[in-house]
Amino acid sequence: MNKVCFKNIEKDNPSSLTTYEASGGYKIWREIINGKLSHEKILDELKKSGLRGRGGAGFPTGLKWSFMPRNQEGQKYVVCNSDEGEPGTCKDRDILRFNPHAVIEGMAIAGYVMNASVGYNYIRGEFMEPYYRFEEALKETYREGLLGENINNSKVTFNLYTHLGAGAYICGEETALLESLEGKKGQPRFKPPFPANVGLYGKPTTINNTETFASVPDILAKGGQWFADMGVSNSGGCKLFSVTGHVKNPANFEVPMGIPFTDLLEMAGGLHEGRKLKAVIPGGSSTPVLPARKALKMTMDYDSIDKAGSMLGAGSVIIMDDSTCMVKALTRLSHFYYDESCGQCTPCREGTGWMYRVLKRIMDGHGKMQDLDLLLSVQEKIIGNTICALGDAAAMPVESFIRYFRKEFEYYIKNGKSMVEKNG
Amino acid sequence: MADIEIEIDGKVVFGNSGESVISIADREGIDIPRFCYHKKLSVAANCRMCLVDIKGNPKPQPACSTPASPGMKLFTKNAKAKAAQKAVMEFLLINHPLDCPICDQGGECELQDVAMEYGSDVSKFNEGKRVILDKGIGALIHTDMTRCIHCTRCVRFGAEVAGVVEMGGTGRGEDIRIEPFLSEGIQSELSGNMIDVCPVGALTSKPFRYQVRSWQMNSIKSIARHDLVGSNIFTQAHKGKVKRVVARDNETVNETWISDRDRFSYEGLENKKRCLVPKIKVNNAWREVSWQEALDYAVSGIKKNNMEASKFGTLSSKNATLEELYLLQKLSRGLGSDNLDYRLDFANLAATNILKTNISLAELEKVDQVLIVGSYLRLEQPMINHRIRKASLNGASISVINAQNFEFNYSTSNSLLTAPQKTVATLSAILKSVLGQSNKKQPDYLNSVSVEPVHKDIADNLVNAENAVLILGEHINGNPNSDQIFQLIKDISEASQAKILNVGLTSNSLAAEQVGFRSVNDTNDILTADLKSFLMFDIYPDYDCINSESVIKNLSREDAFVVSFNSFEDDTVLQYSNVVLPIASFYETSGTHINIDNICQSFSASVKSPGDSKPGWKVVKVLADLLEIQGFDFADSSEVTDEALTFKPANSLAEVKISNFDTSEVSSIWQYTPYAIDAVVRHSSSLQETLIGQINVATVSKATAKLLKLSQGDTFKGVPVEINNSVAEGCVFIHTYQPRKC
Repeated sequence: MNKVCFKNIEKDNPSSLTTYEASGGYKIWREIINGKLSHEKILDELKKSGLRGRGGAGFPTGLKWSFMPRNQEGQKYVVCNSDEGEPGTCKDRDILRFNPHAVIEGMAIAGYVMNASVGYNYIRGEFMEPYYRFEEALKETYREGLLGENINNSKVTFNLYTHLGAGAYICGEETALLESLEGKKGQPRFKPPFPANVGLYGKPTTINNTETFASVPDILAKGGQWFADMGVSNSGGCKLFSVTGHVKNPANFEVPMGIPFTDLLEMAGGLHEGRKLKAVIPGGSSTPVLPARKALKMTMDYDSIDKAGSMLGAGSVIIMDDSTCMVKALTRLSHFYYDESCGQCTPCREGTGWMYRVLKRIMDGHGKMQDLDLLLSVQEKIIGNTICALGDAAAMPVESFIRYFRKEFEYYIKNGKSMVEKNG
Repeated sequence: MADIEIEIDGKVVFGNSGESVISIADREGIDIPRFCYHKKLSVAANCRMCLVDIKGNPKPQPACSTPASPGMKLFTKNAKAKAAQKAVMEFLLINHPLDCPICDQGGECELQDVAMEYGSDVSKFNEGKRVILDKGIGALIHTDMTRCIHCTRCVRFGAEVAGVVEMGGTGRGEDIRIEPFLSEGIQSELSGNMIDVCPVGALTSKPFRYQVRSWQMNSIKSIARHDLVGSNIFTQAHKGKVKRVVARDNETVNETWISDRDRFSYEGLENKKRCLVPKIKVNNAWREVSWQEALDYAVSGIKKNNMEASKFGTLSSKNATLEELYLLQKLSRGLGSDNLDYRLDFANLAATNILKTNISLAELEKVDQVLIVGSYLRLEQPMINHRIRKASLNGASISVINAQNFEFNYSTSNSLLTAPQKTVATLSAILKSVLGQSNKKQPDYLNSVSVEPVHKDIADNLVNAENAVLILGEHINGNPNSDQIFQLIKDISEASQAKILNVGLTSNSLAAEQVGFRSVNDTNDILTADLKSFLMFDIYPDYDCINSESVIKNLSREDAFVVSFNSFEDDTVLQYSNVVLPIASFYETSGTHINIDNICQSFSASVKSPGDSKPGWKVVKVLADLLEIQGFDFADSSEVTDEALTFKPANSLAEVKISNFDTSEVSSIWQYTPYAIDAVVRHSSSLQETLIGQINVATVSKATAKLLKLSQGDTFKGVPVEINNSVAEGCVFIHTYQPRKC
């Protein structure tokens, strides 16, 4: 446990440069500055490590970095997505608080590999403490002469800036993030063109999640194989899981990929006394919910969760015990997406409001039996038809909640009250 | 051209790599529904209506944002594509009012049309619909934002074409509002195009609101005549009245846009002050009479007074058609008189013909260097300015020599504030610098001219440019040294290879030039000459003549017999005229407009002229017949057109000597708002209500104000004074809708 991003979490002053360097930090970056590490070697190691994007999409990082037109003339950018807003997710916040230097080093390495001399870390607007910690770390790094123009006469240049968001969930979508970073309204761009070709200010840009960047220095220091071996096939390394909900000890856990779900549940202190597991959302609120029987059989890696019918996503495990009213839970989730839709494209702008209103009506006791099929039909019309993934994220919970817990919805519609909650 | 092959619905078609799928489909006549896509705007891909199934792609993809790639196979009508399109249609309709019968867009609504094919008869939506309260965005566009489908065409039009970000999307999700950011609303000179691009009834024409249904009108192809472009339009008429004007595509002329002036001026035709019946003045009293009586009276008056041809003068507004101008000059020359003119707003009549435009609208987009002299181009010629803006977006650098800093919708690299009396000196300095760089011989008068860095900078830019253009505007018309300015621009152009665009001679001036509507003696000021009879065609001296007071005084002489042809009643015209003949106005007569590209655009009458008024060319023809002048046997206006276009006017290019440097006196420039330049537009009430229509200010610098003993709140020539430093020293810049005489 806690071997990569969280390796210093129990030490005194974990976010300081001293602590970071004592644990081998900036070793790789110094090698790069001294011209002892080529970008090809770095890409090889990354590909070997099996590291996949930790923001949710799970795209192989080494491959993503190799898409950048490294030798193209002109400015290129590296952007870190620290706009952690997915309900259930809180891992990047703790990386920024306890290991900011790993993010800085990871971004600097990325900058070198992709020949991008400027990086931006886009931090969620509500993250004031992580923002100050990261800024402090950034100052330390500059003071140490590890960032800037022509560092130590190495001809390596990397400047890193922090940008604080303003509270929109959609800005965690990478192209909306770029728009926001450019000072515009945060609305996703259509693709193609992809950011690797036309990104920030129209220049080639690579965007990765905080955890992804933070994992890079150790992968290079200890070898891609070392990282890959921690995990299982197709899910290399270890991963941060934020376990929340009805558990005794909700927290972030950095564990090897592929550990059984039950082990993770145990680490989080297990369920409260007398409660039974009812459902799990394994990857953050936008991934489909799984009933207990499926969740209990899965292991925490991409393939297993996929097989169970959901997604690993950002590793945000929401535990729901038998006291949970699934109608209420889905209504709350739907309200979130309705509230956070940017409003740019039709299916999401109109569909999220429609789904929320139908659910709210059911909650208010005015539901009709055909509303369930209506909800299924609306979510189906959103999925795959929107500019960005928010539409899919809003739709998938609706489908899975009704699929696995239809009886509870029917009960609510028939009786005007919850099947689970006594006073519901 | 086409370099790749793709397959749409089983049909093999060709396109250019990188071209969007929807543009290929459009060319091939394959129908793909869409709302946000517009061929002249950037791609937004937000409506999702154009989703199509592309083989190998798990999700349907928008045809507007998907670039074609070789071998691509796509289906626009298979089950997957249709399901996606119908899904989007359902979402678009849930919050859209389904009350087409009371919507002004009904019958010409893209949403309504597409819903017929992709919508369902029954809505599954049983929740409350979204309602948006309208705030009002100006005099020209009516909003009904509850109907908005957020396609952002209007927003993109503003940002990309009009060049002012007035409209935007505020709020998020369902609360997104398409609205202006500022309380002034939408005030761009091209704003009406937002009505055309809006696919639904959210933005509709305010003056046209609830007048008549689109299918009840006849759409007649016509040409807008207010500027040098001659934008292509449809006039839409109902029961003999023009109810609306919309843009007609013509890529070489106006692309798909028109200015607000061209779009809303038709309102003036319905104004109560139209001349409807011929009138004669007998013993100082006006009498409405028949055409026969009026023409007889006119003919006898002319004959009585016109014993010598040299005492007969003919003047016309520059808005007249080619045919009207041609027949008027033929009549005048038939009587043996060379006293003709249309240049009523020139302070100096010498050498106005030496600057010929030699660049086309299409070429304007491709210039890399622009020098604007004496022009608020954006308001004078909105569609030409649009081309310059495109050039600017492509990287052209733009320098300006004006008496005031104006708000252009592009950035300018050099902006040289120059009072009218210093223009000759400034241009001389630029010429000297241009000649110096190209090692050409300098004329002697340049020896004493001092060149400042900014002059050198502008000259450098012109000499080093691949495609430069010098644009000369309206402000020069009122400059007493205009002949020297023309000559200097001509010399700079020759020395620097820059092209010339002369927008000072606007409206249908090029037609007047074509038919030689000028005395051979250029500088003969006919309006103030001691003549015995005058034909005044569509002239309103209070507005049209630079020295209106002396003109009116001259025409009002006891011994002057004045026959006026007018579309609108005017007290000043009545004061000096002996006969007023009511003539047809815009869209009421057939005719021809010659635009800046020398394209002769002929149009037919869209509606019959009101009352007893007649098309001007017919009236002139009958008058010529009654005066027994030969050669007026025309059966219709196209015969006149043919003869007019083969006419070769006598032309002599004057020699101009440059002599006038800094006389250090205070001067002024008088510029009308774009909605006060001719009688039709002056009578259209909605345009007058806009911020542009309301401009009424004489701007003067602090020092000059002191010199003239002016302070804030005073009036100068009847126009309220504003003191600030946006204007050159030694100059009062008057920008107003008021007549010169007031």
